[in-house]
Amino acid sequence: MFNKRKKIIEFALSSLLRKKYKNLAIIIVFSVIISIISSILFLTNSLKKEAFQLFVDSPAIVVQKLSGGRHELIDIAYIDEIKKIAGVGEVQPRFWGYYFDSLTDSNYTLLAIDSKKDKRLDLIKGTLPEKDGQCAIGAGVARVRLSVINDDMLLPLSEDNELNVKITGVFSTDSNILTNDLIVLTKGDIIRFFDMPEGKATDLTVEVFNDGEVATVAKKIKRMFPATRPIQKSELVRTYDTLFNWRGGMMIVMFVGALAAFAIFAWDKATGLSAEERREIGILKAIGWETSDVLELKFWEGFVVSILSFLSGIILAYVHVYFFGATLFEPALKGWSVLFPQFTLLPFIDTYHVFIVFFLTVAPYVASTIIPSWKAAIAGPDSVMRS
Amino acid sequence: MEDIIKTEDVVCIFNRGLPDEMVALRGVSVEIKRGEICVLRGASGCGKTTLLSLIGCMARPTSGKIMVRGRDVAKLTERFLTEIRRSTFGFIFQQFNLIRELTVFENVALPLYPLDSTFLQIKHMAEEVLGKLHIIHKKNAPIRQLSGGEQQRVAIARALINNPEIILADEPTAHLDSKLSNDLIDIMVNLNKEGKTIIIATHDPEVFEHAFINRTIFMKDGLVREVRTQ
Repeated sequence: MFNKRKKIIEFALSSLLRKKYKNLAIIIVFSVIISIISSILFLTNSLKKEAFQLFVDSPAIVVQKLSGGRHELIDIAYIDEIKKIAGVGEVQPRFWGYYFDSLTDSNYTLLAIDSKKDKRLDLIKGTLPEKDGQCAIGAGVARVRLSVINDDMLLPLSEDNELNVKITGVFSTDSNILTNDLIVLTKGDIIRFFDMPEGKATDLTVEVFNDGEVATVAKKIKRMFPATRPIQKSELVRTYDTLFNWRGGMMIVMFVGALAAFAIFAWDKATGLSAEERREIGILKAIGWETSDVLELKFWEGFVVSILSFLSGIILAYVHVYFFGATLFEPALKGWSVLFPQFTLLPFIDTYHVFIVFFLTVAPYVASTIIPSWKAAIAGPDSVMRS
Repeated sequence: MEDIIKTEDVVCIFNRGLPDEMVALRGVSVEIKRGEICVLRGASGCGKTTLLSLIGCMARPTSGKIMVRGRDVAKLTERFLTEIRRSTFGFIFQQFNLIRELTVFENVALPLYPLDSTFLQIKHMAEEVLGKLHIIHKKNAPIRQLSGGEQQRVAIARALINNPEIILADEPTAHLDSKLSNDLIDIMVNLNKEGKTIIIATHDPEVFEHAFINRTIFMKDGLVREVRTQ
């Protein structure tokens, strides 16, 4: 059996080589379609993965104050009241805001953190700001501003309000979604720059000892301060998940067209063999090949073409997404972001999705190769006598 | 001598029940003895090729019996038909039916691929048969580079590689000039001397007037009109 299989595989490979231009064209078209679909899946998964990194150490509840439906500064005095709720741990004020840099046409997120307490931002080259007049910046900010450690950074807000700080650290690119557009300042610098009134913060973070009580605590905060909006971590996770699934789904719908085009191509192949292919099958049958031998030959032909296309499609997608930043889909999938600076994703591949792509592409192609050959092979070899 | 092939009242109808139904054979009964050279003779469309196909287990008759070495093959499954085709028959086709992009060696070795032979066994068998037909020097040449006569020799080599007992040839000289036709006849005679039964469908006088023929079956309109033995 081994020798037989080996000879049939060898013959399948030589058959493919005999029609190398036709097969190369199929492999190219097939690879491009697989790479488009895989790119969407890789990109969506990586964005999700990156986005969820945000939530690993994020607080159980973020409390924002609303006025006229819009987010406004919150009283720090709320902290003491919230702390009285049973099950609540630490409650901290956060000071942050957005800044549009007209010099580089980029949006930055300005955030005050306590360098001694904050454990999330440990991926830094250099140090976090330890006193007023210092800052740490994300890799995206460093790139667009052409800045390195020890450079000065000037952020003008108005004619009489500007911030001039020294860069003490640059975040590594390993946590891009978290830090790409980030400028970390001291609390004093943020309050001064955004002209925040005394006793106010951007929002409050609330830790809850028992995860099962988060929803109850959020309700109590809402009851206690009706003008606030307590946002639970689970709500944010769900929102991100839906957002990426929807965007990924939207892209897949768009490229279903491409897949349909391939399906038509495969169907066309499935419904008709060329006269030459029929003749060849007839010859094989006439000289003693069984129908199963012909089908095995055609299986290997289809399998080799589709597996080559699959592998090259996956590799193309990987290079496209993780080396070229998914240039083709970036506007659609990342358009929601304030991260105008260029963005590099952490490689993340979900094997489940790779298998889905495999079964949606390789299996139909192999079937489309085998079915018409089967039809020709069972028709009887005598047709070759009459050619 | 025993009958190696015997047909009884074989009818073969193509596209049965369709508007283009065609009756190719209308009740053919013939007997061919082991070791004979038999010619099926008749004009185009008389049913020679159809009869050859049925004898060679490449198709099934609509009705009637086809006995190959005493066994009725008409009702055998596809698997058994293939096995009989592979072990008993060697086919030489009018159009040679070689795969043009393959080399001489590959074409000749092709019938052995589905068997569990090693490459060395295949190589040995293919070279032996190519040597016998004096075409070994072209073994690595693609078919498209060969002349008509050379292609015919390759087709014969392929038919012989399984060492079949019966050679079926359909208009084997149709594309050959007289010298090459004579060469082919010589090959057939030599194969017959080795004990092979040879059945040739032809309307070429150079073949059917040759002295080596033991039996001539005259066909017309799907029927056997006359059988001559010598």
